[in-house]
Amino acid sequence: MSLTPTLEMARKAGLGLLLGIAIPSMAMAADSSLTIGMSTTFTTVDPHETSSSPNNAASRHIFDSLINRGGAAENNPQLATDWKVVDPTHWEFHLRKGVKFHDGTTFDAEDVIASLLRARDKPSQAFASYTRNIKDVTESDPYTVVVETTVPDPMILNSLSRIRIISADHAQDSVADFDSGKAAIGTGPFKFVSYSPGDRLVLERNDDYFAGPSEWKNVTLRMIPDNGARLAALLSGDLDLIETMPAEGVDRVENSDNLQLIRGQSTRLVFLGVNVMDTPTAFITAKDGSKLDKNPLQDERVRRALLMSINRPAIVDRVMQKNGTVADQFVAKGYFGHSDAVKPVKYDPEGAKKLLEDAGWGDGFKMTIQGPAGRYVNDSAVLQAVGQMFSRIGIETSVEVMPWSMYSKKYTTGDYSVFLGSWGINTGEVSNPALAVVAGRDDEKGTGRYNGGGVNDPEINKLLDEAPRKPLLEKVSELTFNKLWILPLHYENVVLAAKKSISYAPRGDKYTLAYDVKSAAN
Amino acid sequence: MLASLLRRLIQAIMVILAMTIIVFVGVNVIGNPVDILINPDASQAEYARVVAHLGLDRPLWQQYLMFIQGIFHGDFGTSFVYNKPALSLIVERLPATLELAISALLIAIVVGLPLGLYAGLHPERMSSRLIMSGSILGFSLPTFWVGLMFILLFSVQLGWLPSGGRGETASFLDASWSFLTADGLHHLILPALNLALFKTSLVLRLTRAGVQEVLPQDYVKFARAKGLSENRVIYTHVLKNLMIPVVTITGLEFGSLIAFSVVTESIFAWPGMGKLIIDSINNLDRPVIVAYLMMMVILFVALNFIIDICYTLLDPRVRLDTKGK
Repeated sequence: MSLTPTLEMARKAGLGLLLGIAIPSMAMAADSSLTIGMSTTFTTVDPHETSSSPNNAASRHIFDSLINRGGAAENNPQLATDWKVVDPTHWEFHLRKGVKFHDGTTFDAEDVIASLLRARDKPSQAFASYTRNIKDVTESDPYTVVVETTVPDPMILNSLSRIRIISADHAQDSVADFDSGKAAIGTGPFKFVSYSPGDRLVLERNDDYFAGPSEWKNVTLRMIPDNGARLAALLSGDLDLIETMPAEGVDRVENSDNLQLIRGQSTRLVFLGVNVMDTPTAFITAKDGSKLDKNPLQDERVRRALLMSINRPAIVDRVMQKNGTVADQFVAKGYFGHSDAVKPVKYDPEGAKKLLEDAGWGDGFKMTIQGPAGRYVNDSAVLQAVGQMFSRIGIETSVEVMPWSMYSKKYTTGDYSVFLGSWGINTGEVSNPALAVVAGRDDEKGTGRYNGGGVNDPEINKLLDEAPRKPLLEKVSELTFNKLWILPLHYENVVLAAKKSISYAPRGDKYTLAYDVKSAAN
Repeated sequence: MLASLLRRLIQAIMVILAMTIIVFVGVNVIGNPVDILINPDASQAEYARVVAHLGLDRPLWQQYLMFIQGIFHGDFGTSFVYNKPALSLIVERLPATLELAISALLIAIVVGLPLGLYAGLHPERMSSRLIMSGSILGFSLPTFWVGLMFILLFSVQLGWLPSGGRGETASFLDASWSFLTADGLHHLILPALNLALFKTSLVLRLTRAGVQEVLPQDYVKFARAKGLSENRVIYTHVLKNLMIPVVTITGLEFGSLIAFSVVTESIFAWPGMGKLIIDSINNLDRPVIVAYLMMMVILFVALNFIIDICYTLLDPRVRLDTKGK
């Protein structure tokens, strides 16, 4: 197996990292407390009920997984110490020995089986995309489990890093039991103290945590979605760290003596979808409003002209207030499936006009573009800016924004011509966004469900049909972004603000994990 | 009295029925909650399973009938988002909103009534003019702005009061309340003041207007001529007669304090029902929306009834049975 040496190295690196952190923190484990202001609300403590980012981030405080997902989407050992591929559909995991649940019971294979199957069989189906290939989980001895998949699944480590391990004693318990704390018993770095829905989760350090106790004795995760309120609570000293620092307060924090901004790049890609399937497409007309007999977006030159007309560095800088980084493909350099052969498109309005002329659209056309309001960072402002830039190259553009609950249904079905889309690439690799956004729509296979532009490129479809290996995914990136099947805008940045006395390295998936927050003195 | 109660009950049920139908149809028109709830990676089959699990695969009228059936068994539906009974979700957060609303109402009455009385009795004094101008500010400044200013002043600059949250709570009647602990009270001050500001101005101005209307009346002049003490004139004859509009408005406003305290709740991160209903509307969480609105209809009907009873106590001429005929 060519996988083994790299896994071995990753494991050693991961363990070294964990031990390196554990030693200094044990030395200074005082009665310190940490209060984090979260910008989103999680809905339950039950780790298998809903798979939204806030829920998954919150559950990581109490529960561990077999695999620990690092900040740049790397797979490190957690409750599994090592693993091997027995055959393409059987993976064997060796479990960490001597790990105790918060209630004192010992962790073993039974808990893994109960957790994985509970996540798979919950009626809410929240974890279906991670568990759908899991056929069965069996134990060969109390510290070895074998995961059998229905098809060869190279992404299984990714999937397992998502599923929290609960105690088998509580596998039958309801959401309410988890929320009351009765069943909220994991092996993670913090123990459940109290949970008040929509308000806060109070935690206490697990002194016996296998990777070493956290620096913080008491941790409180407070949910404060209102930007002003969250910032005020940080300024008043009630909070130590806040997520999603509102752009309007950046100056104030930067000029403060005891506060700091922490920036990092996330894996959420924001892009423009373009309808290439309909002739003509619904929201593009001639300048006088009359119908066209063709769809200009089907011409690659027109798509390129559109992207060339958008001054993305300016959007990121001013509209996004530096809360974004210009994107050229699904994932940034260093992530699985990034390709250096993707040619970045530069801002060049004159060149764009020329391209339009070459394509026979020198006189431009009239277009309405759509997007959600309040779903992504400054989404409607970004769309307004894009609309103005389109107008500058002779495409008369009007912008329509609507609430997410209205938009979410329509943008996926190809109702629009040019629309704002986004995908949080939580797996940190290309197959995940590509299967959803540019793979041909196939309800049976479940591909292309968010392919609102109706992209159907046989080459891409063929590559995505195979098991996701690196060269294939790189090729998918090249095909998508050299043909511009979608127009990449930017990755949202993770912007946090914190007291200067603490340090934190932001994660690509935007999770804020108290265990990784350190006091700056270290 | 009984007949009037019964009539109101029937009216309330009609309103609730109409409201539930509107919500069912409305949510259905806006979009499909599953699109918002489900993990975007889910396959068609998984999607279908969730739709079936939530009962959304049936025609709308069937869903509605099932909902009505559930109500007769005390089941108001299970939240799509939280997977808990909608009613218990709301009741869980009721104490937070209730104590906030009651505190605000108390502040409004305790501050607004005496000040209004004073301004009405001595309209020429400088202090009265000051009070009246102040009340204009209370009326016109937007709640969210005042709330943020409160936080900036009292939490950020002075550091006297916490910027948000409920603080420590104590258990009473199976619910947790902030006003029973010192820390909780500490947390309650700013949001309650913020919410009370508008209502205080309202009570103040109503009282003042009432006083000025009542003072020139013959019975007040007669009472004075009879040689009654000024206190007795004011508290028995003036105050009692101006109470009817004040009670009506405060009663109705109490309902709106509970139903619409969402702005204050989100600024002060106060985990009450207002935040829940806004989240639920955004997520198209129909069971919670319906259950919440039903509670609000019942609340307003009940409040109206209590107000009417107060009328009869304040004014013996008013009788419930003859009202509205």
